[in-house]
Amino acid sequence: MNVPQGENGPVLLLEVEEVFAGYGKIEVLHGTSIRVREGEIVCIIGPNGSGKSTLLKTIVGLLKPTRGSVRLSGKEVGRLDPQEKVRLGMAYIPQGRNVFPSLTVLENLQMGGVSLGDAGAVRRAVEEVLEEYPVLKGRVRAQAGNLSGGEKQILALARAVMTRPRLILLDEPSIGLAPRIIEEIYNRLQEINRRGVSLAIVEQNARKALAVAHRGYVLDLGVTRLEDTGAHLLDNEEVRMLYLGEKGNGPEQEPQDPGSRR
Amino acid sequence: MDIFLQSVVNGILAGCIYALFAMGLTLIYGVLNFVNFAHGELIMWGAYFLYLFISEPFSLPLSVAVAPAILCTVCLGMVMDFAIFRPLRKADRLTLLIAAMGLSFLLRNAAQFFWGAEVRTYGLEISRGFQFLGVSLTAQQILIIGVTVACVILVYLLFFRTSLGKSMRAVSDNLDLARVVGINARRSIRAAWIVSAALAGTGGILLALDTNLNPEMGVINLVKAFAATLIGGVGNLWGALLGGLIIGLAENLSVLVISPGYKDAVAFAIMVGILLTRPYLVTGKRTD
Ligand SMILES: Nc1ncnc2c1ncn2[C@@H]1O[C@H](COP(=O)(O)OP(=O)(O)OP(=O)(O)O)[C@@H](O)[C@H]1O
Ligand SMILES: [Mg+2]
Repeated sequence: MNVPQGENGPVLLLEVEEVFAGYGKIEVLHGTSIRVREGEIVCIIGPNGSGKSTLLKTIVGLLKPTRGSVRLSGKEVGRLDPQEKVRLGMAYIPQGRNVFPSLTVLENLQMGGVSLGDAGAVRRAVEEVLEEYPVLKGRVRAQAGNLSGGEKQILALARAVMTRPRLILLDEPSIGLAPRIIEEIYNRLQEINRRGVSLAIVEQNARKALAVAHRGYVLDLGVTRLEDTGAHLLDNEEVRMLYLGEKGNGPEQEPQDPGSRR
Repeated sequence: MDIFLQSVVNGILAGCIYALFAMGLTLIYGVLNFVNFAHGELIMWGAYFLYLFISEPFSLPLSVAVAPAILCTVCLGMVMDFAIFRPLRKADRLTLLIAAMGLSFLLRNAAQFFWGAEVRTYGLEISRGFQFLGVSLTAQQILIIGVTVACVILVYLLFFRTSLGKSMRAVSDNLDLARVVGINARRSIRAAWIVSAALAGTGGILLALDTNLNPEMGVINLVKAFAATLIGGVGNLWGALLGGLIIGLAENLSVLVISPGYKDAVAFAIMVGILLTRPYLVTGKRTD
């Protein structure tokens, strides 16, 4: 949990300030603000439809903010295309369909490296990433569409680190996965973070993410409602009741078995 | 037996040409997620561009005229995208469908304006077929097979061995994901139009060599290419290749049992059959 310190406290990597965005006439984000510091894991939680995915899509550039600013290391990047943000060190793993199903595992990784430019650099990056993710090694020729859910998530992660990003945005990385796989994914994420990479994780199932996060935000109806450290949010009565599915009879309650929740 | 074999051979020949059309159509279908109903006009204009370059004032030999003819077809495809489809990139499917049909109508009328509605040929002497195992094959027909095989090899090398080709397949799988991993989607889409138009032009020229030219040739072949695309599945190049061969064979084998006058109805029947059972192919990609 050591976040690098600049002269005036931790160095800001991503600043989303009062951002308004949505789909055509439908506005989903009504002035949302979040910050991610260098080396930090930030978790964003909130109920269904509160705009968590929309926020990540706006940060990565799939959606353009109508107002407000998105800055990366102090540079305004709100109007840039996703392709340009990749070059600035941003990576994004969407919710759900996050691999190219008709491409092989190897081709998926190669596509993750297109912004590296020459074929030699891509080949070296693929070799390195396969060393780090040996589960993929035996499956390089498999079609990504035929992988299991857990393998797809690992592949998506491996593809995201191909460019050695400074910031990875993850949209519900644990959705639909078995507890053992979730554990593995989160171990991977912490390992990536220890190398200095910042993570912004959106989670519906917030307990795991808040437990590893340095800080967290609660998003509701397109606005930031709460901001605190991960541990404080986990202790917050309101958060526990509203977002962690607890009944709110005191902080002493044991965490419930996730399977027994609605 | 001979007539059966001859029908199989004719089916493969027709199938080769349909496959070239269908691969181009399915490529745009996959990358842009709409059926380019003006694809038939690329086929037709490809054939007429060759006609243009072998006639006055160019009077190029046929083998030389092929290059500028295909180049012009590619330009036409890119202009189509630039002028019509790119401004409509975010439009819904119905708008795109109507735009494509309008464009098709316009291009057909333009061809008719320049060359008239009558049937034309490249004026080649009718060559006597080679006899082989009781089957007759003309030089043009051997050329059709050779060119198709060459195109399929080139398509394979492009899409499975180059970064640009893999990017096009990635865009076809998931455009937004392609953009966020850093793929230049505009470049991939432009490349898809180039390949699609080049295949259409090549197929159109081969078809005109084997039969003739007329402004309606695009429309009827679009139906066949579309049926082949449906057989193969959206955006599936090898499926389109196989689908083209299946349509060609089905049509030519049907001649053994029904009147040749109904030949064109076979592809139509296959298309309707598939649409009835799998309507989502036209209304939208299934979201699984
Ligand atoms: N492509 C779209 N077009 C129009 N509206 C959309 C689109 N995607 C999402 N929305 C709407 O935007 C709102 C926020 O959606 P978003 O996906 O950002 O929520 P979320 O917090 O990620 O929810 P979930 O927890 O279900 O993933 C919802 O009301 C949703 O209906
Ligand atoms: Mg979401």
